[in-house]
Amino acid sequence: MNAPNRFELFVLDDGEKPVEVTEDTKIPNAATFKVVKQDHTLANMLRAQVLSMPQVLFAGYKVPHPLHPYFVLKIQTDGSITPQAILEQACTKLIATLSTLEAKFKREFSFKDAEGAVPEDPYGGTGQAWGTGKDYLDF
Amino acid sequence: MQYEDAEPIVRIRELKKDRVNFVLENVDLALANSIRRVVMADIPTVAIDMVEIHSNTTVLPDEFIAHRLGMVPLVSANCDEGIRYTRDCTCLSGCKYCAIELRLDVVCNDNRTMEVTSNHLEVVEFTTDSGSADNVQEGDEIAKRGEAFGNPVGKNDPSVPPVLICKMRKGQELRLRCVAKKGIAKEHAKWSPCSAVAFEYDPYNKLRHTTHWYEAEERAEWPLSENAKEEEPPRDDESFDFIAKPRKFYVDVETDGSLGPQEVMLKGLAELQTKLANLILALKPPAEMDIVPGAVDTGINGQTAAWAPVSGGAWDVGASRAGSGSPSRAGWGVPSTWEGTSPAQTASTANWGTTSPGQATNAGSWGTSPAHNVWAGNTSPNVGVGGSSTGWGSSSQQGWGSPNQQANGWNL
Repeated sequence: MNAPNRFELFVLDDGEKPVEVTEDTKIPNAATFKVVKQDHTLANMLRAQVLSMPQVLFAGYKVPHPLHPYFVLKIQTDGSITPQAILEQACTKLIATLSTLEAKFKREFSFKDAEGAVPEDPYGGTGQAWGTGKDYLDF
Repeated sequence: MQYEDAEPIVRIRELKKDRVNFVLENVDLALANSIRRVVMADIPTVAIDMVEIHSNTTVLPDEFIAHRLGMVPLVSANCDEGIRYTRDCTCLSGCKYCAIELRLDVVCNDNRTMEVTSNHLEVVEFTTDSGSADNVQEGDEIAKRGEAFGNPVGKNDPSVPPVLICKMRKGQELRLRCVAKKGIAKEHAKWSPCSAVAFEYDPYNKLRHTTHWYEAEERAEWPLSENAKEEEPPRDDESFDFIAKPRKFYVDVETDGSLGPQEVMLKGLAELQTKLANLILALKPPAEMDIVPGAVDTGINGQTAAWAPVSGGAWDVGASRAGSGSPSRAGWGVPSTWEGTSPAQTASTANWGTTSPGQATNAGSWGTSPAHNVWAGNTSPNVGVGGSSTGWGSSSQQGWGSPNQQANGWNL
């Protein structure tokens, strides 16, 4: 009846800003990023990447309430770079990592195709009945 | 995150029609987990979303059958380009571009129990309500669908047992109309392309991320997983390494057949990159303004040039959802805002001088990376959908592509 549309959990509203930056007034070189319509998938990955960078003193994230579709990421740096810039660098690095991963996946898949392990059916469908063939889980 | 600058490694151990088993090395636990989460919850597929029951004299109530129909996996290959989200479509409540119609019409005339299965579902031409067909924007989605698109997985394939929907006795009838729509599993789990994703690391529990409860002997009561063969067993005299991090992940992605395992993995990685790219773009406008004074001409010119194509493509994702004419976009493309703000920021010039070259190189490496192509591929259907968004993209490119004017403005 009056339930909100479920896609509002992951689609930005009209004119909604995807991220809101609040600079910390009490801690030097710190900022809080409120990223809306995103969850742990993005947040934890970013936190880990930001934390691995040498200029960062603190990075942490939380999803304040499971029904509210946003997370808050706090970053403090040593002052040689702003939190915004470090977050941007983190994103860029992650994208680079993911694209190398993607290239490797493509290569691996093409090798498997060449081996003829799978006659890849582009329209899905399992050609095999349940329980036939040996799984790696059969131990 | 990459693990200490070592290249990430992927090794596929097994590839079947509906599953892929691979080992991921030299990546961070958080990244591996994000990949797991994204393939489970963020990849669009089609599934039955609305059921109109015309006649149901079976023993199962209408809502019971409707729920069962929703769970039936439908072939969704190339869903990105083959179908729109109904919420993005210009139609009122569904059209042939954003929905697929399936019909079920079964009567039992036999003296035996009859099984109604997913094989009885027939894809038909979408029947539009009268009057709503006028404002549907034409598109080339239908040409991009495979021939089985929207059909239940394994239909008319004798080697695949069909999904049982209900059983009927003589004289019972089931007639209904289903509308399948595109969605993702965050909205409802029926849209998940994966039926199971196994994820394991550290089979010997060397890192002590978990505690094994045992009665007498831990090793005897906790059998090792198959993945333990990939790793060195711990020696008895080995002390606990509390700095060690997991670096080898064993993943098995099993799909329900709506998408192949290859498509699931590649779409998943592309989706993660789209999320990150959108975040960068969201961070960009204020950051860009801060950098302006420090970067002067070279930095800013290089940067805008590198970023322009990306922003044109990736913004369309959000833009087409938001509909036409969202205010944030308008403000973005207007160069006057930039000029207005740049003098005010001069104070921070000194601090920023050091960081701007780094930014510029990042932006450069980015533009050339294959990731870029992926977004373009991803977002192109949206560009096709909205005539308005393409128009915007091209006009803004021009605005972006002429930084000389702006640079001159600042230099004076």
